Amino acid sequence: MNIAVLVKVALDTSYIRVDPSNRVLFDEIPMRISDIDRNAVEEALRIKQQGLASRVSAFTVLTWGSNPKRVSEAQNLLREVLAMGADEAYLFSDPGVSISSQLYTSRILASMIRRSGDYSLILSGEASIDGYSSQVPCRVAEELGLPCVSYARRIELREGFIVVERDLEDYAEVVRTRLPAVVTVTREINVPRLPTLLQIRLAMKKPINMVSLKDLGIQEIGRIHERAAEGVKMQRKNIMIEGRSVEEKIEKLLEMLAREGIDLTRR
Amino acid sequence: MRILLVGRITELQGLAGFVYPIAGSSQVDALILGEAGEKELQGLGVSRAYIADNADPGYSDDIVEAVREILGRNSYEYIILASSRINKEAGSRIAQRIGGPAITEASSCYLEGGKPVFVRSIMAGKAISRETITPPGVVVALIGGGGKSLSSRLEAIERIRISGERRIEVIERKPKQRGSVRLEEAEIIVSVGRGFKSREDLSMAFKLAELIGAQVGCSRPIAADLKWLPEEHWVGLSGKKVRPKLYMAIGISGQPQHLAGIMDSKIIVAINKDPNAPIFKYADYGVVEDLYQLVPKLIERLSRR
Repeated sequence: MNIAVLVKVALDTSYIRVDPSNRVLFDEIPMRISDIDRNAVEEALRIKQQGLASRVSAFTVLTWGSNPKRVSEAQNLLREVLAMGADEAYLFSDPGVSISSQLYTSRILASMIRRSGDYSLILSGEASIDGYSSQVPCRVAEELGLPCVSYARRIELREGFIVVERDLEDYAEVVRTRLPAVVTVTREINVPRLPTLLQIRLAMKKPINMVSLKDLGIQEIGRIHERAAEGVKMQRKNIMIEGRSVEEKIEKLLEMLAREGIDLTRR
Repeated sequence: MRILLVGRITELQGLAGFVYPIAGSSQVDALILGEAGEKELQGLGVSRAYIADNADPGYSDDIVEAVREILGRNSYEYIILASSRINKEAGSRIAQRIGGPAITEASSCYLEGGKPVFVRSIMAGKAISRETITPPGVVVALIGGGGKSLSSRLEAIERIRISGERRIEVIERKPKQRGSVRLEEAEIIVSVGRGFKSREDLSMAFKLAELIGAQVGCSRPIAADLKWLPEEHWVGLSGKKVRPKLYMAIGISGQPQHLAGIMDSKIIVAINKDPNAPIFKYADYGVVEDLYQLVPKLIERLSRR
């Protein structure tokens, strides 16, 4: 059986950029592999190592612009996934297409997966680090007509089925569904491996297959979702409390807090 | 506009409060999953209520099926659910099925030029996104406890039944242990991180919290990796978002995911022995000190008053 992993090249949330009027400059923020998708890749690789899967393919839709700079940035990032051990990657990018909604991202992913082979299991992170919408995996499942189980913290494959332990707000549950299926994982499921130097070098030879709209049977990509983002201003005082002794630091801290209206000595 | 609120009866009041700013002259209807009493329905201020009493809101299959049933009878521009893990699953699937956009984790909404604008947090809490969608679409909303009620008169109550097979079989459900931790409502939070070397040492933080009437929070490693504290203490992007008057981060380095959960705190105090810990950049008051030196002495100081 083969495993498809949905991997997002996401904006790196540690490097937010805004213009003088505080609008977020998405084009200037560097990208990185969405953290939780690494857990999904790791889980796929573990299943392969147990001899239960023969091929692990990563599927990516570049949603943050399709200029040559972004494409090469995405390719470099996908090399990390290949270095971890994925066999191949498929990257969708089309200069003529701007993707406004997860509707289209999911249609594109579903079409890419359908055209690339037979996948019994589709894994993904529970959410991407930048948008955190959690929409795409379940949308892909719906598009492919497959069941979707999200928030897995442990999975186990049994003949034709997958058993998932997952965590919901009020209870934890163990559920079972027939394969093929889409499953999203949380960070708790595993610790993603760091590739060795040798694996990084070998990854250079693995294929990153470029896909554009004409390769897929998708008619129309419309604009149905508009966004404008502004930076959150962190207005913190950043006062460092100095002192020759621990006691002195404590007194100063208590005094500062009392001035803020929080007198810890009187609570 | 026609708006459909979808959820269990306990979620409906919050959903009504959420859409209040955009409801205006819209027709707002409700689809209730599971049982609902007539009196509870009257209080919502919606025009029409559908009750799918054989739908279990614990299954996204049931939610998708119930909404499909309603959309076969009536059309709605906005389908709105309350944020939860199952509802995000269901909302995404409904959106894909109707070929429409969706916004999850919307924290509020308002009208601009007659169009609803939905607000959500992105980039690990570092940016606010204002979004509009072309209907029909789905919104999964973060709802509070109460909120204003809508003012329509309930014209009709209709019972529907869903059919169709569930593709996911629940083998076991284990309710979570619910303690007395209510971080979202805490006035002061003493929060612990990897700076604590053992589980036993956390007792210092609990002692301090008791002295000043605080609740104890923690960063991801303490709850998720080391499991020294149950998850109800976990503050951050995947844990709880808190907004206390005072947040004391003790031995917490300040990973972006943690910071995303504490941004609405009024005052942040950071105590860490590493002067380069990122938390100091996001704190109002920082103390570079070994917590094993500072916390016992702070407890001692606050005990003799």
